[in-house]
Amino acid sequence: MAEVLMILTIALPWLGALAVWAWGDDDAQQRGGWYASHRLAVAFSAAAGLAALALLPSVSSTTVLRIPIGGMFGELTFVPDGLGVFLTVVATVIGCLAVVFSVDYMRGERQQRRYYAFVLFFIGAMAGLALTGSLLFLFFFWEITALCSYVLISFYNDDPKAVAGGIKALIITQIGGAGLLAGALLAYAYTGSYDIGNFIEKAPTLPAAVLAAMAFGFLAAAAAKSAQFPFQTWLPDAMEAPTPISALIHAATMVNAGVYLLARFYPAFEHVPGWRTAVMVVGLITALLAAFMGLAANDLKRVLAYSTVSQLGYMVYAIGVGGVFASAFHLLSHAVFKALLFLAAGAVIHAVGTRDMRDMGGLGQRMPFVRNVFIVGALALAGLPILNGFWSKELILEAGLEGGPGWALVGMILGAGLTALYTARMTWLVFFGQPRSDLHAHDATSAMRVSLGALAVGALTTWLLVGPFSRMLAETLPFHEIEHLGLWEMTVEILAAPVTWLAMGVIGIGLAAWGLRERLAGVTNSLGWLSRAAQASFGFEWINRRVVQITQGAASLLRVTQTGELNWNVLGIVGGLVFILAILVWGVR
Amino acid sequence: MKNSVRFQRSFEGEIMNFSPLNIILLGVLGLFGVGLYGLLITRNLIKIVLVLQILVKAAVLALVLAGKAGGNLGLGQSLAATVIVADTVVAVIGLALAVQIRRRFGTLDLPAISTLKG
Repeated sequence: MAEVLMILTIALPWLGALAVWAWGDDDAQQRGGWYASHRLAVAFSAAAGLAALALLPSVSSTTVLRIPIGGMFGELTFVPDGLGVFLTVVATVIGCLAVVFSVDYMRGERQQRRYYAFVLFFIGAMAGLALTGSLLFLFFFWEITALCSYVLISFYNDDPKAVAGGIKALIITQIGGAGLLAGALLAYAYTGSYDIGNFIEKAPTLPAAVLAAMAFGFLAAAAAKSAQFPFQTWLPDAMEAPTPISALIHAATMVNAGVYLLARFYPAFEHVPGWRTAVMVVGLITALLAAFMGLAANDLKRVLAYSTVSQLGYMVYAIGVGGVFASAFHLLSHAVFKALLFLAAGAVIHAVGTRDMRDMGGLGQRMPFVRNVFIVGALALAGLPILNGFWSKELILEAGLEGGPGWALVGMILGAGLTALYTARMTWLVFFGQPRSDLHAHDATSAMRVSLGALAVGALTTWLLVGPFSRMLAETLPFHEIEHLGLWEMTVEILAAPVTWLAMGVIGIGLAAWGLRERLAGVTNSLGWLSRAAQASFGFEWINRRVVQITQGAASLLRVTQTGELNWNVLGIVGGLVFILAILVWGVR
Repeated sequence: MKNSVRFQRSFEGEIMNFSPLNIILLGVLGLFGVGLYGLLITRNLIKIVLVLQILVKAAVLALVLAGKAGGNLGLGQSLAATVIVADTVVAVIGLALAVQIRRRFGTLDLPAISTLKG
């Protein structure tokens, strides 16, 4: 049963992609409003979501499906363990909600076949990435998601910014992909298979240098995919994508793949010297830098992108201090509330036609539904009690108290305060105050309300699932040493922990700082340099531009070698031949 | 495995004496050297086609030689026949292109007609 459901979870979106491509329509208004693309996409993504949910009762740590590929590709295996199934459910269910949202958001856009086909292709690849038990196929699915992300960021392909953002995302995630591929090949060379469980089991017997190379290769891969320091620059530029794409790929699913990779391989790399510290520091730096940048940005989607980077930093930090469960739990909470925030922002952008928060203001009266769900998401992001973000963030801070140094914990608590501050600023600028320009706004339409309502309910309630969720992870991950944590236990533990009250105090200060912003004008002005540095992304954009310049300069220097003359090329061939002969002659001895 | 061992022996042990196999091997190397040298220095397109033919003849001869030395002469010969057919097509198309290029550019000098520059 489980194998059929797993195949369905991956194959249904991919079949849907083919179906949309074959029978969809590009411009919904031209065929009398039958909306073939919309309907096919919703049907197939909903079916995939149901298949993934049906997979939940049959989680296990055994490999239930093996497809021999042959040769050095090994076997394509699928393991429905707790971590994989959980990420699959997140990908397909939020994918389905994003597709439903797109019905209204993308109405009247051109080339809807391309849009929906790649969204569905992405959902299937993400499910494959989470479910596969083969390192090599993990890499393949990883790269398929990167390609889909590129195509969808550049969806408005007549906009140079969208094209540049897509290429930037593709190149930066490829750098990390190289680390993953190298790690997979090393695992094959030293354990004789690509099987992930087998690798984790045999990891302690590997040479220390090899294991360290793999550990840091995977960290680079995860940092590039999850937009962590020093690769964080691609995610804000990816905001040129249509907003449902930002919600699905760049908040709820693909960017979590890096965190998933670290969580999956945590038992293998746990004892590599310096690895846990490196992971923790990457998370800490990212969380703080991105929070500052979120505070200084004026584009609504960019603020959300920086907050995604910052929250992913929390998850990476949690893995670094040994809180794999806290990290996975925050991943769940964050996927729900950030998808909610992005889709609500999409409803706003769809209604008013701009993303600049300086032009908005006072929209709350005209779009009360969107305002209410946005506030739910914003409070969850800020980490206020009862909402899911509170519980998972406090779990991370508690894990940091147990397993990490104090200075890192202080940094993360400061980050929580900054999160509250930029969340309050964003919500206020969009929905409250006086209108700052003459914008036409209307409240969300029906398909949007379905998605937003479902996600808002999720943001209020997913923390109640902590019991079954932790049991699922504890029972199916033999190497992770996760303990079952009941709802009541968690509530008592968090409410009794001093770090919770400390964090609540800092969050309260963060919220109060926005309320008192006029009295604090002196402080704000004296921090102008920090704001300017944050708006210049702390120099990382400059580094990016320099790298591009140097690459192009080197390429134009190397142009002289491309004479286009046959004799010259033959000389190159002869040189290569001599080189290979020399290797054969000297290498054989 | 067995074949390759025998081939190595004829390659290393008997290279000094002028057995027929070694003479043919010298012929292969000679043809190959002439062909490569020609490709390195020739600028005329028709001459390029000619030296390519010489180069491929070295390969054909090497195939027959390898078949003989490896004890599977039939395989070597049939591969050689295949290469000859394919190579004839290369020569015909190369010469036809040369005619067209001469008509269009008025010259067969390679540097003058090369446009695939970086």
